Parts: sequence; C-alpha cells; structure tokens
Amino acid sequence: MRQTTLSVALEVKPESYDHLSSLLDKLREKRSADPSGGTGPFADFLTRVPAVHFMSLSVYPGFDYDPLFVIEANFDGAPGPFWGQLESAIGPELRSMLRCCKRPLDNDGPLFDSIAAPDARAPIAPYLERRSLTPTVFHHGNRGMTRDRILAEHKLFEATRVELRCANHEGPNPYRVLTPRQIHAKLRAAVHPDFAWLDQPPPTRIPLAENIGDWVRLISFIVAAVFVLSIPGLFLSLAMPWERYLILLVVVFIGIAMLLKRIGVALPGTEIATKFSFLKFFFSQLVPLLLFVAGYLVVAVAIGTPLSMLATARNFDAAWHGMVTWLLWGLAGAPVVIAGIVLWLRVIERRDASQDAPPVDPVMLREMARREDWIPQNHMGSLVLIKPGILRMILIRAGHRLLGLVLRIQARSGYLGSMRTIHFAHWAMVNNKSRLMFFSNFDQTWESYLDDFIEKAHAGLTLAWCCGVGFPPTRFLVKDGASHGRQFKEWARHSMTVSRFWYSAYKDLTAEQIERNFRIAIGLRKRTLSDKDAALWINDL
Amino acid sequence: MSALTSSDVLRPGPTGFKALIQRLVMALMPSFFTFLRRWKPVMKLGNNYLTSRYDDVREVFATDPAFGVIYKPHLDVIMGGQPFFLGMADTDQYRHDTDAMRKVVRPEDLPVLAVRTEALGEAIVAGAGGRIDVVDTLVRRVTFTMLGDYLGVPDPPGGDLRVWGTRLFEFQFVDQGNDPALRKEVDEIAPALRLHIQNEIARRRIEPGKDDILSRCLALQAQGDAAYTDDFIRTSLMGFIVGGPPQPPMVVPQAMEQLLRRPEALAEARAAARADDDERLRRYVLEAMRFDPLAPGLPRVALTDWTLGTGTSHAATIPAGAQVLAAFASAMMDPRRVANPRVFDPNRPASDYMHFGFGLHECFGRHINAATLHLMLKPLLKQPNLRRAAGKAGRLSKNGPFAERLVVTYG
Repeated sequence: MRQTTLSVALEVKPESYDHLSSLLDKLREKRSADPSGGTGPFADFLTRVPAVHFMSLSVYPGFDYDPLFVIEANFDGAPGPFWGQLESAIGPELRSMLRCCKRPLDNDGPLFDSIAAPDARAPIAPYLERRSLTPTVFHHGNRGMTRDRILAEHKLFEATRVELRCANHEGPNPYRVLTPRQIHAKLRAAVHPDFAWLDQPPPTRIPLAENIGDWVRLISFIVAAVFVLSIPGLFLSLAMPWERYLILLVVVFIGIAMLLKRIGVALPGTEIATKFSFLKFFFSQLVPLLLFVAGYLVVAVAIGTPLSMLATARNFDAAWHGMVTWLLWGLAGAPVVIAGIVLWLRVIERRDASQDAPPVDPVMLREMARREDWIPQNHMGSLVLIKPGILRMILIRAGHRLLGLVLRIQARSGYLGSMRTIHFAHWAMVNNKSRLMFFSNFDQTWESYLDDFIEKAHAGLTLAWCCGVGFPPTRFLVKDGASHGRQFKEWARHSMTVSRFWYSAYKDLTAEQIERNFRIAIGLRKRTLSDKDAALWINDL
Repeated sequence: MSALTSSDVLRPGPTGFKALIQRLVMALMPSFFTFLRRWKPVMKLGNNYLTSRYDDVREVFATDPAFGVIYKPHLDVIMGGQPFFLGMADTDQYRHDTDAMRKVVRPEDLPVLAVRTEALGEAIVAGAGGRIDVVDTLVRRVTFTMLGDYLGVPDPPGGDLRVWGTRLFEFQFVDQGNDPALRKEVDEIAPALRLHIQNEIARRRIEPGKDDILSRCLALQAQGDAAYTDDFIRTSLMGFIVGGPPQPPMVVPQAMEQLLRRPEALAEARAAARADDDERLRRYVLEAMRFDPLAPGLPRVALTDWTLGTGTSHAATIPAGAQVLAAFASAMMDPRRVANPRVFDPNRPASDYMHFGFGLHECFGRHINAATLHLMLKPLLKQPNLRRAAGKAGRLSKNGPFAERLVVTYG
C-alpha cells in the first residue's frame, strides 16, 4: 500500500499563540482511558487511527509572519480516510485548535467559518483536506511497509527471540547444533501456529504500477528539463546561419567558463574540503544522461514531426529530417544555457548572507531538549525563510522536484547515502512559497542524525536547504553549505520549534530494525530455504 | 384475529409485481448511492432531501439544533402522550431523562448480557436439530428473551412481546405513509402494552424479584428520586421495547447473509467463534453489517434554513421544514472517508461505521449491541458444516425493511 506524507500549515491569530500551545500540551498529556486501546500515551490512536505511522502538531512562533500551526502526518493510504479517522479520534481537540487560527482570506473562508464558528459541528476533515500541502520532497525509510505489517512483523520477530532463547531451558540450546536450513525449518515450525499469515504471499512493497509511475515521472521531468534548456538554442538556430550560431555558442561558453573559473572558488574562509566533484559526477551519470537525451529526441521528434508537416506542408521525410536537425541545434545550445544559469547562480551565491550565530531562544531550546531522546526515535520540525529572486525560486522548485523524483527511484531500500535512520521526512513550502518547512521522524539523537547527514549526505541536504535565509555559505547548490557542521546545526536548531505533540505508532523500532524484521518474515514465509539463502537469512536472527 | 393475540411477527408483505419492484429497488440502492455521491451528493425530491456523502451525513446527525428528529407524532400515539427522549431535542428534559436511564442501564451489565445472549443462542442452536431459521428461531428469540428479561418486561398475558414490539417498531420507524391498517393494530397494541408494563410496575413494587432495569427504577423511586415516576418508568421501558429488540432480528441475519456470501470471511469468523475470540468475531459481524445495514438512512427535519457542506463545491441550502434522509448506509461506503469501502475488512477503525447513528440521538443501546449482536451468531458459527439450506429458504428473504427468513443447516 502506498504511504502518504503531507502537512497542513495554518496561520494562527497572534493573541492565540499561547492558548494553542497549551491546547497542544493538553493533548499530549491526554492518556487513553479506552481499555481496547492498550496502555500508555495516545494508545487509542492505534485503534482509532490505524493508518497513522507518525504525526506531529507544532506551532511556530511568529517573527516575520504570524505564528504557524502545522499538522504533519505520515500514514497509509489516501488522505480522505485518514482525516476522517483523525477527526474521530481527536476531532473536538482539533476544532478548538482550529479556532485559534486565522480565517483564510481566499475561497476557503466559508468552509473555515462552518467548522470554527462557536457552535460549529460540521466535519473538520474537508477543511484539513482542502488546506493540505503537497511536499516538495519526501522520503520514506521503510517504503511500502504498512503500519499493521510493521507491527505484525515485529511481533513475529519477538516470537523468534523467545523461541531461540527458551527452546531448551535446562540444557544446551538445540538451535546451536543445527544447520541454517534446519534452524529455519525448526523456527518456522515453532512460530507458525501463532502466525497464520506466514502462509500468505507477502504483499508487494512497491507495486508495478507505482514503480512505473516513479520512472515515468522522472523521465518526463528530465525530458521536459532538456526541452526547456534547449529552447534558446532552438530559437537562435532559426535566426542565425549555423556557422555563426556555432561560433556564438563556443565563444559564449568559453567566456562563461572563464568567469566561472574565477568566481567558482569558495569565498575566503568558506571552503570545506569535499570529495564531491562535478566532473566526476558528470561522467558517472554520462550514460543515463545520454539515454535521457536520446529519449528526449525520440519523444520530441514524434511530437514535432506531425506538427511540422501540418504547419509547413512538407512531406514526412523532409519534416522528420528537419525536426531532428533543429532539435540537435537546440541541444547544442543547452550546455551554454546551463553554464549561464550556473554563472548567474554563483553570482547570487557570492552575495548571499549567511548567519554565523543564529539566535536560539534558551527557553525553547530547553523545551526541545526536554522532549528529545526518550525513545530510540526523535522528531524535528523546522521552518525557514526562502531567499528571494526568480532564479532561486525556479531552481528550488526544479531542484526539489528532481530530488524528490530521484529519491523515489534511488532510496527504495531506505538508504540515503549510507544511512538508514529516517522513517518519514519531507519538505514543503508555505506562506505563498516564501517559507520552507522540514519535518523528519528519525532514529538516534538529533545531534548524531545531523552529524550523519553532514558527513554522508551533505550534498543532498545542501541542495534541499540552501535556499533558506541564513544557510551557511554554499557553492553551486550542493557544495560547502551543510558541510559547515557547527554552523549548519546552529542554523537548523534556530529554525526549529518544540514538537509539542508527536506520535509514533511503533516507538521502539528503528528503520533498520523494521527492515530486519521484514527480512526475517520474508524468510519465514517460505516453507524451505536453500543452503545459501538460509546462511544469509540467519544473519538477521 | 385481534392484533393482541396475533402470532405473526411481520404483517404480510407485498406480493407479485410490487414485491419484485421492492427487491429491485433494494438491489439497485448501492449503485444509486454511488451515483449520488459522485454527481448529486445532496439530492432534492420535492420537499425531501437525500444526503449520501459521509461528511454530509455526519453533519446532519451532529447538527441537531438544525436537524431535528421526526419521531414525536408517532411516539405520542405509542406512549399515550407521555414524552420519551427519542422524540426530544437537546433540552434539559432530554438530558435529565437520558441521565436517569443511564443510572439504571449500567456498563457492568454488559458482560452479564453477553453471557446470557451466548447461552440462549447455544440452547436454541443445540435444540434446533441441525436446521434453523436465523431470523425468527435464533435472533428474534434470543433478543426478545434476553432484553425482555433485562428490562423486566415479560411477555404480556395472552400476547407475544415479539409481535407487539415489532408492530410498534414498524409504526414508529417504517410507516411513513400512515397505513390505516397498521394504525388500527397500533391503537390496540400500544394501550395494551402500556397497561401491561404498568401492571408489572405495580406487581414488582410489591414483589421486587430479580435485579433488572424495572427493579432498579423502582428502588430509586422508593428512595425518593423524583425522576422515576411511574409514567417515566413505563414510557422508558416501552421505548426500549419498541426501539430495541425489533432491530437485531433485522440486522444480524443480514450480517449472516453477507458472511455466507463471502466464504473466506465466513471461515475466519467461524475460526474466531471457535477460538472464543469474541472481539474478533464482533469485528466480522460489524463489518458484515456494513454491507447491509439496518436501513438506508435515518430521517431528520430541518428546523431552520441550513447549508450543508458550506464552502464545498456541492454546498446545498435546505429550507426549514424540509425532510432530510441522512443515508448512513451510503456514508459507510463513501471512499472519500472510508478506505477501500468495497473490501470486506474486519480491522476497520470505529470511524468507518455509523450503524447506530451519530450525535445526540446515537442509539441508546449501542453498547448493548456491541456486547451482544455477534454473540447471537456465535453458537451457530461454531457448528460444523454450516451452510445455507437448499432452495429459497437458504437465501435471506425480506419483507419490506424486515429480514424475514434465512435458513441454515449444520452438523
């Protein structure tokens, strides 16, 4: 089943900020009184909102804007049923919170009135649905694993631990003398009576249609990007003789390259040594890039040839030949356009202001620290202003879109670089796309989580966040930036707020453990394993 | 024959072409609702409105100041003019009366009722000789016996509580056309039932007997609690008899029919019954009921001009005085709020169900229903080789909105 990640960001009436914060604290303190909901904080969420994996409710104080109330939700299936379940679980509390928010000035005003009026009883789900934001980038650490499956497979894992530990209390453990295949067979026989679902085929984590959809979206984006980048060349090639067009491209490219060489170096004191090299990256991606360009040519020729025949009354051969030639001339201009954009970007980057010592409210810092590190998982939410400028806005949107699409293809096993510590994370833009939110539900401490990213995935992190006002100095969207570890962490902390209400449906499980449980369950679903497979499989026990 | 001595629980249903049309309408209703949810979520038919989406149905039920119940005129006939909270708005008297009854209908009774229900079902199934009508022989007998005993209202002398209760239920909840023949029977039964309960009150005041709702009311009356007048006790017990036990024989056999249509779900429900996993069995029965609930919807009357779905693309203003049918059967199949509604999934959250209404007039006996409905089927589901009886008897037949017959065999 597909997982959904989204957020709802609502402006808060400034005078209601404290009241809203207290409502969130009250909700957090609420304990389940329903015996069917288990025990512990928010236990009844398990039965009343069975779709939810992680959820948070936060309120950001207002400095440049009025305070912002954000509902972050990560759940199984479509949003509609989730909002219905959430309303059923905490509807009255949410309605009180929504009453602290400002009435939208757009077309959603009447809908807001219908749910927030003093004696309003209309369902709040339609309003939350209407105000939902689609993430610009999101990542799912255990993609395709429904909450119920995660819980069921962990129960199975615990049963295997009990069986392995208690197989023979009074003598030597019988499992020690068995071959891997025999261990599998004996363990399966022991746990099978309590886990009838082991006989069922495992649900596909990424169904074929979803897989195809991921690839189609990525290919479409790249084809569209190649087309956009080749537009200047397409027009110029029509207006100029080809010899002069070629000379113009070469001259402009050399000029830009020389300028880039001069201003591409880091500003004094801002360079961080990195192994990342654009040239190496370019050559490593050359084959797929050529394939994408070839794909672009095929698509563009297929669309353009009939249009050309219609517009010019040429025959097929002439139209086809002319179209291919024209598109190739357009493609020839693309590197120059890219170089020009990079130059423009670098000029802007050199003028960017970064914040060396972002202020952090000590009271809020204490509140954050008080809520962190109680379980193996933690939560962070951040909100930053986006740097101004048309180029930056285009690059942020295109960069986020590309990053999101690539993550859907590359991070399917949950690994980002060499890390697998994120359950659900996403970025989304708010306030008419002038601010960027980031939410992450991750394993380990906040410090080690960011350290991991700084060391192992700083390029991606910088790409996603370098548009934030005050972000450490960055080069070419991906260099330096988050590699300024201390400065980056201070900047990130400054942008965070207290996670006043945070819910995890499986608070003791790390993303790594969920995958381990998955592998054990996959093995136990099979009646027998080969020697080779069994030898690999027992590594997880 | 007098209605008082009749043994026919249901009045003769339509036959011939009328019956065919009725069956056709019932069969096409799910598709009709699908169409309405998509194209006309709030449909106007004269001065009547039909709401089919989950959110709108919920809004109608929740907004009781704007959408009142329409039960009072018929309740006045049944209760002889005495007020019963089912017909009231959210007034002080409503709160007073429901609070008073909650003092005597207690949560700790539920396990006892569950045990009694299962035991009654077991005895009936054991004595049925391997062939049983789920509607009348099993569910109706279990329900009226269990609830009559719990309330302290036995069968009237010379009469049958199942007949009286079901007839009054039909008048109260089904008879929108004011059928004169039905009214004639009600005019006989209602005073007789009131007298019967009043006689029981008098008898039990002298001989309190066992612990039940009537004895608890009389005990509080004896302690000087002014809420528990004879009129209040009689009216409340009568309201429970009319609104309570006639419903399980409608909906529980319908759930059984839905299980029989789904061999895999039936096998899992039977496994839960055999394992005495009552919570799991409850989920199967509740989910089966979603595919054929008690009724398509519940009526309300607009007390003021009200715009349903304000701010949405299908917002519709309903004028004061218009009648609204909140189609909870459709709401439970609305994919906008219910995940994969056509899939039989016993693990659904509570929010996917609206079997017992919602808001002010959510069924008073919903906790009793949750504790007992599945247990009426449990003894049957435990039986080996459970299957439909051959022929038409093995398929659920209906008489109007009432389940009429569903015969299964076992052993």
